[in-house]
Amino acid sequence: MNGNWKITCREAHVLLSERMDRELGIAETLRLRAHLLICAVCTKVGKQMDFMRQAIRQLDR
Amino acid sequence: MDTAALNDALAGLRPVLFKLARLQLRNDTWAEDVVSETLIAALEAAPTFAGQSQLKTWVVGILKHKIIDCFRKAGREVSTDAMVEAAEVEAFDELFAPDGHRTAVPLEWGDPEETFKRTQFFEILQMCVDKLPPALGRIFMMREWLEYETTEICKEMGITATNAFVMLHRARLRLRECLEMNWFAGASRT
Repeated sequence: MNGNWKITCREAHVLLSERMDRELGIAETLRLRAHLLICAVCTKVGKQMDFMRQAIRQLDR
Repeated sequence: MDTAALNDALAGLRPVLFKLARLQLRNDTWAEDVVSETLIAALEAAPTFAGQSQLKTWVVGILKHKIIDCFRKAGREVSTDAMVEAAEVEAFDELFAPDGHRTAVPLEWGDPEETFKRTQFFEILQMCVDKLPPALGRIFMMREWLEYETTEICKEMGITATNAFVMLHRARLRLRECLEMNWFAGASRT
């Protein structure tokens, strides 16, 4: 990740996935939130990852 | 529920149990074995349940434990190809343009609850999970279905946390593409 606060969509995607598997650090959280504020695409992908998690948990219903 | 009725109910569950075991284990023989062990354990416990759905939930609980036992026994055998796949260089590059933005815009998926009302969706979901490469599928299901912590997955599969994160990310991206292509793309047309 570069030294400033802006991250790319590729980096945001990585964080969106990793936040489902570990706790993000403060800097990571802030960078991700800042990116999601201005990026509808990554926001959508984040919601879709949550959607998929919910869906898998319902598989045995 | 008397023994005969329980027998019938359990026999009726066998196909769905097998499907779930296969999704997780990626091995028909192992899947058959855990399902048989599960049904035997269920019969021995001779439970009394008011309804079919309670029975199913309980039996699936046993199945998950049997699957976890299977992983413990399989150990290194399972982790070897995980390491091989983790070592492969996969191009996420086609998803992203040089400026870092996505090349294809994702669709709007809408309300999960609405989607979950459709049994066909779950058939597509199973198909998409099944299409994941074996090691990715196993790890993904360990995380999402068996709800293992990442550290537990690393221990079980003999991989590093970094391997795990990358593999889970790949699995999620592939699954997303598959679901979008095979379900949400059609839904948005109606």
